[in-house]
Amino acid sequence: MQILLGFWNLVPITLVQGLIYSFVALGVMIPFRIVNIPDITAEGAFPLGGSVAAILLVQGIHPLIATALAVAAGFCAGAATALFHLKFRIHSLLAGVLVVTMLWSINLRIMGKPNVATFGLNDIFTWISDAIAQNLTLQILFFGVLLAVVLLLLWWMLHTEVGLALRGIGANAQLAPALGVNYLRYAVAGLGLANAITAFAGALSAQLQGYGDVSMGFGLLVNGLASVILGEAIIGRRTITAQLLAPVIGCLVYYQLTSLALSLGLAPSDLKLVTGLFVLGTIGWTLAGRGRARALAT
Amino acid sequence: MIAIEHLSLRFHRGTPDERVALDDLSFGIAEREFLVVIGTNGAGKTTLLNAVAGSIVPERGRIMVDGVDIVPMPVHRRARFVARVFQDPMVGTAPALTIEENLAFASRRGVGRKFKLALTAQARSAFRDLLVPFELGLENRLQAAAGTLSGGQRQVLALVMATIQQPKILLLDEHTAALDPRTADIVMQATTRLVAEHRLTTLMVTHNMRHALDCGSRLLMMNAGRIKLDLAGVEKSKLTAPELVRRFGEEDEQILLPGEV
Repeated sequence: MQILLGFWNLVPITLVQGLIYSFVALGVMIPFRIVNIPDITAEGAFPLGGSVAAILLVQGIHPLIATALAVAAGFCAGAATALFHLKFRIHSLLAGVLVVTMLWSINLRIMGKPNVATFGLNDIFTWISDAIAQNLTLQILFFGVLLAVVLLLLWWMLHTEVGLALRGIGANAQLAPALGVNYLRYAVAGLGLANAITAFAGALSAQLQGYGDVSMGFGLLVNGLASVILGEAIIGRRTITAQLLAPVIGCLVYYQLTSLALSLGLAPSDLKLVTGLFVLGTIGWTLAGRGRARALAT
Repeated sequence: MIAIEHLSLRFHRGTPDERVALDDLSFGIAEREFLVVIGTNGAGKTTLLNAVAGSIVPERGRIMVDGVDIVPMPVHRRARFVARVFQDPMVGTAPALTIEENLAFASRRGVGRKFKLALTAQARSAFRDLLVPFELGLENRLQAAAGTLSGGQRQVLALVMATIQQPKILLLDEHTAALDPRTADIVMQATTRLVAEHRLTTLMVTHNMRHALDCGSRLLMMNAGRIKLDLAGVEKSKLTAPELVRRFGEEDEQILLPGEV
């Protein structure tokens, strides 16, 4: 009873966490499911967003501009991965590993040190209302609305002529060029968009917790994958609406589940092992169930 | 007007496996001509089609479309001139997209894409009208994923997609070869319908003798990267299967597969 009460008390703050990381789950889903190029750049794009936002806030830049530049930096990171993958003909996962590794140094260069505090500075939350920083309900509302706006924009974009072509390169890479689609350009834009969203989450996260940190993205990619898998198991991915909602629902459920597991006595240090086993288990189960790889494995 | 000029290509150049695929090949395709290309495996017919489509770059030669050489253009840029139906029904459509999304996707070939909703009520009703004549019921399944269609249905959809924007030349790459004979005939009927309706300039590669005889306004027989026989008009329409086999079979008996099994 005591344990469950502990979990219950954590539900709101876990919800805030889940909402922020929903952006990351979206940023992980897009390359895997829409563009059909497996990408791990999220792991570096998240701290990149946090680093850029934090250092710009310290320099007195307006929080909106700081956040926008963090998003732009994330776009560049994703675009770089796509370019390395397609121009140098290396596997997209290796291209992502290279970009993430290089981003570690770049993030340190950006901040000049491993972390930069933004306490007391004018950030995006104080810009909107001082109340948000203290009030979990307002935070849930804020991130919920923001997430809804991003989801609506993505839904609209994926139904435009351009969005259809983006889904087209993922659905049939051989057909798309024959229909006049520049594969390279769309792949770069697709991975750029995905990592821009992830960097957006990094920028928001840094401003909410009051510091940017070079190691703040560690393990986020696997959490994102777990969220996508979980969400798709819950609502499927038959339509674009379901495909967009799956990472969000999966992410919200995933963070509540981990919170529950921690309340039940799981050591926080074991969380990554458990999450990794969950992803492996789901892929293995899917393989066994359908006889062929339909999971995120490529 | 399409002009193939001195097109040459060797595979495995500089190795013991070196093989001539296209040997200084030159010919013209008139406006609205329906050209059928036959030949043995390795005769160069698919290489010729790939060269026009842009998936293979020739060593020498030009491919002129209305006076412009398209050889230097990447596939996505020549899509403005060239539409293609692939042999593999899996390749010609995007399986994860619905029928109407596939059509909307294809309808922007060569005209560019904007941040504008791809599917409107008007577009849907136009797509329905395009599909009705084929009597496959596709018009009632616009929201079904293309991946749920049979091979023949997919090839018909691929044909409609290739012709939804008028191309300068339509390339048909043995597009009935992966189908059973009855379905192949249905797809071939759909092909002649669309070609006649849109008055398309067409280049079709086929192994199907009956289709080669019955369809098209001109017949090219290729061998070792060169044209061995070029028949048009009355000559082509008077051509019979035994005659074709005789003229063809001088070197190889296994050139053409019979149209029926």
